Parts: sequence; C-alpha cells; structure tokens
Amino acid sequence: MVYSLYRYRWLLYELVLRDIVLRYRGSVLGLAWTFLNPLLTMAVYTLVFSIYLRVGIPNYAVFLLSGLLPWLWFAGAISAGATSIVDGRMYVSRSVFSPILLLLVPVCSQAVNFLLSIPLFFGIAAIFGVHVGWPILVFPVLMGIQFLLVLGILMTLATLNVFFRDLQQLTATILSLLFYLAPIIYPLQSVPAAFRPFVFVNPMAALTIGYQDILFYDRLPSPVLTGYAFAVALVLCAIGRGVFNRYRDAFADYA
Amino acid sequence: MSEHSIVVQNVSKRFRIVRIPKQMSLKEAVVTRRLFIRRDRDELCVDAVNDVSFTVRRGSALGIVGRNGSGKTTLMRLLAGIYKPDSGSVWTRGEVAPLLSLGLGFHPDMSGRENIKMSGLILGLSPKQIERRMDEIVDFAELREYLDVPLRMYSSGMYMRLAFSVAVTIDPDVLLLDEVLAVGDASFMRKCVEKMRSFEARGKTIVLVSHDGAAISAWCDTALYLDAGHVRAAGPAGEVVAAYYRDVSGLIVPAPAELISAVE
Repeated sequence: MVYSLYRYRWLLYELVLRDIVLRYRGSVLGLAWTFLNPLLTMAVYTLVFSIYLRVGIPNYAVFLLSGLLPWLWFAGAISAGATSIVDGRMYVSRSVFSPILLLLVPVCSQAVNFLLSIPLFFGIAAIFGVHVGWPILVFPVLMGIQFLLVLGILMTLATLNVFFRDLQQLTATILSLLFYLAPIIYPLQSVPAAFRPFVFVNPMAALTIGYQDILFYDRLPSPVLTGYAFAVALVLCAIGRGVFNRYRDAFADYA
Repeated sequence: MSEHSIVVQNVSKRFRIVRIPKQMSLKEAVVTRRLFIRRDRDELCVDAVNDVSFTVRRGSALGIVGRNGSGKTTLMRLLAGIYKPDSGSVWTRGEVAPLLSLGLGFHPDMSGRENIKMSGLILGLSPKQIERRMDEIVDFAELREYLDVPLRMYSSGMYMRLAFSVAVTIDPDVLLLDEVLAVGDASFMRKCVEKMRSFEARGKTIVLVSHDGAAISAWCDTALYLDAGHVRAAGPAGEVVAAYYRDVSGLIVPAPAELISAVE
C-alpha cells in the first residue's frame, strides 16, 4: 500500500491542487474565500458570544479563531472525505491506484487551506496585541496528530458510506454537534468539572485545547492531553485500516 | 512461461447481487429488519467469469468478443488487478496500463494539456515522464493548436483522440483496451493500427475488448469468445470472430445462457 501511494504521489499532488483551484475557479473573489469564510464566522461568533452573551475572555476573537481554524480543517475534510470513495467511483472501478489516495485528497487540500489561513490568524492576533511565542514550534506536531485523526476517521466513514449512503447526512449533523461540544467557542474552564471528562469523548477536544495553548495562551500544550490525542488518532487509524482493508475489494462492485 | 506475458488459470469471479436496493438507508434497513443481508433471501449470484484459462504470448494482441454481459469487462478488471479472482490465478508481466474507459479523470474546464497530465498520472507516470511524452501525444492526437483550449470546446472526436493518444504513447508492457476503439476517422484508425504493430514488435502485449468483430480480426492474432462467463471459443482471431458472428446472427441458435442462477 505504501509503495502504491508513493508511486502515485504526483497524482495526489495534482488532485489536491485541482481540489483547491477548482473550488474557487469562476468565483470573483477566488482564494480570498479561504479567509472570508472563517473571518465572517469569527465576526458573528464574537458578536454573539463576546458581546451578547459576555463569555469572559479578553481578546475573544483571537481565542475563537485559534480553535476555529483547526476545526474548519477537521470538519471540511470529514464532510468532503465521507463521500470520496463514492464520488471517485470512476477511479475505483477503472484504475489501479489505492483508494486511500481518494481519502488523502480532502485531508490534504483542507490542510493546505488551514495553512493558508494561518497568516490571517497572525494578522488578527497582531491587531488585538496577542503575542505568539516559541511554543509555535509544537504546532507541526499537533497538525500531524490531526492529520492521522482525520485519516483514521475517514477510512472507516468513507468505507461505510459506500454501503450506507445516508451516513453523509448523519455526518453533517454529528459534525455540527461536535463543534458545540468542543471547547472552541467557550474555554474548557466554563465546563462544570463533573462534565469535563465527557468533553474529551470528542476526538477534537484535546487538539483544540492544544492549539489554543500555542496560539492564544502562548504556552506549551499539556503533554498528557497531546499524548491522549495521539493515542486516540492511532486507535482510530488502526480501526479504519482494518475496516478499509476488509471491504476495499468490494468498492468496485458497490461504489 | 517466459514467452508469455499473461497467464490466466481457472479464474472465476462471482458477483453477489443484493436484491434489495443497494443504497438502502440505515433507517430503511432497520425498519425492514434488513440491516443484515441474508444470503438465502437477498442474494442473486452471477458467475461473471467462470473457470477461464488462457495465455497471451509476448508481442501479440488478444481480442475478446462476446455479447453484453458475457464477462468481458470483468475479465479486463481481473487482468488489471482491480478485482481479485474468487478462485484461480492471474499473472501478468511488467507494467499493466488499463484503459477501461476513455477520458478517466478528464475535466471539461481544464485544458487539453492539463488533462493529458492527469490521464498520465492516473496511469502511474511521473510529471517528468509525461512532459517527455507530451509532444508525441499531441502529435499523435493531431491537436496541437487546441492544446491550451478547455476540453469542453473539443468535439467528441477530438476528445476521444486525446484520451486514446495518452494510452498508446505511455508504452506499458501490457495495454488493456476496453471498448475504446471507436476513435475518429479512417486515417486516425490507421495510425492506431500502426502504433499497435510497433507495440507488438517491441514485445509488448495488447488485450482488446470490442463488439466490432472486424476490428478484432484486423488487429489481433488470437481471440477469445466469451459467453456467460465461459470461454466458448479460443484460437486464431478470424475463426473465433466468425464463430461469434455465426452465433449472434442467429444462424446457429446458441444454447440458452444460464446467466443468473438464484441461490435459493
């Protein structure tokens, strides 16, 4: 499998490029949408939670953005990736590269979008006077864990979606629930202590807190939480790999 | 073994076709208590390819004829490695390039050049290899002045020529062509034949599926006539195609094809 992926690495590159370029081809603002979507979301949430509901965090916009941008990568990749094998049925039944490649496309293209939105974050942080220091060096580690996490979930999800197409509807609902259950629009401290363990059932919760540590609080993320996130990602990858390999020969028949 | 480039031994592929709608929703599945497929109730079995054996020598072309549903495409996908056989074995020498439909990965908004690149990448080439072959592909397709025009502006003949040219210029050891021969006018067809002849001269192998018996007998040395997943005739292309035509024209009534056998 690794050899097959390595051989087709240029195809992956090209498909990711297409995914990014074609999404905005024909739109007037083009790549600016990469910035505009999170910016508008940030503006509305800041208005609602910082001004209307008075969540007591100084520089709320920066706090929000530090958790929101990774979330957009997560949610974008999951919702696009859930259907990727079904959408790529032409490839699955007529070419010989591993369908894992079709899962990697949304994960990578959303990761690129995420990276492109980082300058936006620094711009907003500078405006609010939030300092981002050397803990940023750990940023790639969190990205790596998130990459594994998304890929692991997608291997299971996209495989099951070949057989049960309505999983994609369910996915949209679950994603919006997980968004509110992750400490993105509120800090973990505002969750009553009794409920806190349940927060971490959400696979993005520990990573969200890690990103906030780096980007907002200017401190190293907790090794325990990061290790936990890594362990969850590995387990989901192992499960996903099992499910995917079990059913991949059937993709060409069903997709 | 060394003079062969494809060896297929007793290969069978059975499809279990689920009688209930494939894309049943989870809710439906639970409500109708059909969450788990029961073989006795829900499945039909189709032996798409049934105990097929043949070999193809290096430097030759094999044609496969047969009616719709006789297992030609399934056999091609088995050769390409897209399907795993239920029993038997498939062995191929070297690089296999499956061209099982024209224009796989083509995008109407992309230019001819971009689409050539994508096609080559799907067939496993690197950007460098594609760049090296670009001139040859474009010349072969006779589309030089349209190279940077979006694909949606192409006529259907231009589209097919472009798609076909990518496949014949990539130079694999085994080239699989499934129903992709109706590509353009007589002069382009002649070029294709010449290309294939040079292919064979260099020890490469072609497998060709077509309804067009004339093309098979003109292009191929040997042929295989599939009927309901079985090999009904094999041998020199002309004879096999003649046998196929005798059957389809109804001069000899074929035995009723036991296509679908319920497991019940």
